[in-house]
Amino acid sequence: MRSGLTYAIAVGVFAVVYLLIATERVPRVGAALGGAGVVIAVGAVGAEEIFYSEETGIDWNVIFLLFGMMVIVGVLRQTGIFEYVAIWAAKRAAGKPFRVMVLLCTMTAVASAALDNVTTVLLVAPVTILLCERIGVRPVPFLIAEVLASNIGGAATLIGDPPNIIIASRSGLTFVDFLVNMGPIIVLNMVVFLALCRWLFRRDFVADPERVQDVMNLTEREAIQDGGLLIRSLVVLALVLVGFSLHSVLHFEPSIVALLGAGVLVLVSRLHSDEYLADVEWETLLFFAGLFILVGALVEVGAIDQLADALSDAAGGDAGNAILLLLFGSAVLSALVDNIPFVATMSPAVLSLVESGPLAGQEYLWWALALGADLGGNATAVGASANVVMLGIARRNGYPISFWEFTKYGIVVATVTVVACVPYLFLRYL
Amino acid sequence: MLARELAEPYALVDLDTDALEAARILAADRLPGLVVTDQDGSPYAILPASQVVRFVIPEYVREDPSLARVLSERAADEIVRRLAGNKVRDLLPDKPHQLPVLNGDDTVIELAAAMARMRSPLVAVLEDGRITGVVTAARLLEFGCGAA
Repeated sequence: MRSGLTYAIAVGVFAVVYLLIATERVPRVGAALGGAGVVIAVGAVGAEEIFYSEETGIDWNVIFLLFGMMVIVGVLRQTGIFEYVAIWAAKRAAGKPFRVMVLLCTMTAVASAALDNVTTVLLVAPVTILLCERIGVRPVPFLIAEVLASNIGGAATLIGDPPNIIIASRSGLTFVDFLVNMGPIIVLNMVVFLALCRWLFRRDFVADPERVQDVMNLTEREAIQDGGLLIRSLVVLALVLVGFSLHSVLHFEPSIVALLGAGVLVLVSRLHSDEYLADVEWETLLFFAGLFILVGALVEVGAIDQLADALSDAAGGDAGNAILLLLFGSAVLSALVDNIPFVATMSPAVLSLVESGPLAGQEYLWWALALGADLGGNATAVGASANVVMLGIARRNGYPISFWEFTKYGIVVATVTVVACVPYLFLRYL
Repeated sequence: MLARELAEPYALVDLDTDALEAARILAADRLPGLVVTDQDGSPYAILPASQVVRFVIPEYVREDPSLARVLSERAADEIVRRLAGNKVRDLLPDKPHQLPVLNGDDTVIELAAAMARMRSPLVAVLEDGRITGVVTAARLLEFGCGAA
């Protein structure tokens, strides 16, 4: 453990950065990098720890997995596949609002499992507004339902939600581990969620019957400009997903698979760098780097070990208590602050829990953390990055959604889906 | 040559002019934009014709241009009717395009410099605080080509 002053500075800086991120007083990337600069300046971490340490450095697996998937998405969005599927689904639903919502939410959840939530929302929201205006219903319930579905669906896989990427990298859990352990409860939660939507938005399913024909007149095939690019992109995406699944055979880290997939897709798409790099969120990548440095400083000064001890004490060494503590603690905190910094902080603490002490070997604690953080992010408008992005799209299109309007639906969905995880975790793992 | 000698009479609209009326003026005279004045008749901003087109196109189509291809003719007709019931103030962006304003006795090079600096196709010419005319980029080029 470093000196008391270094400890105090590392913890104090982290608290201030967390507060700045929560209150959005300054851009989160500025807060994270500024905080990282301070902990480096006081010597809490140095270049060796930042660049080369797996425990206390920048998690390059996370950074490059995100980067690779962003490039893949940059190519995929040029294909028009999302617009095609959304319009096809609305026509299949014969323009009936609830059926349209069910199909759009299902499509969003599935897409979110394979891609980043924010990207999925960016792709699905514009076509949703178009469809709602054609049917003559208010787009707001559809947009809210889609972002909630996106956060639920994204929880199913290693790559679906940024917190899962962090957890996977820290824990060593694979793509298949996520699918097998998170998949069943997420499918169940999606069914529960869709039933909830019928009740939550029951007053918003009144369409103009005369306008239904407008939906049927939309020509979804026009959305796809380059069929060849679409086929090549889907083949590469399928190979990337297979690559993730074959980790135990190939021993390629997810970041390597994503980078290889991105490289191949860039080659076969023949797109200009402006196009395939358009979806790379450089600020997000820098934010992650800053965050890892801050958390690395907490590990170095011993604060994370103390957090793990406190968690273990609070659970009293009991696995059931530990599950409940992680699940609900993550859910509540992820509802209040973006779940990425929370999971970045908690992951080394949970790693410490499952490596030693009375809860050693209890790998399922990772699922409690992931489920709480992913599903808890639905509770408020600021709980997950995708929520914030969706609110921005709605506002720009003339359908502003207030914090409370989102939260009154989000909190119900988050509570029900998190509570539904309790019997699953207890019955399956205890 | 001075700005007042190049200035021509030009259509002015104010912030409360009907949006459809403003679009009709732009269309009738094939103008690159309109000079918008405030309630006192003082120059306020430029309303470029492209901004009117931008207003008509839904934001979701601007965010995802591939959606423009899936809309039918009937849907496109409905979208064009978005102008109805709006005022010129509704068409202006959050940060309106600033209108370059010069005095009548400013020289043509000052006029060209203002137009270039502000990337504006129009410059309003003022005499005693009132707009007496507008110099368009086309008029300026016409003068330039004549001098050459």
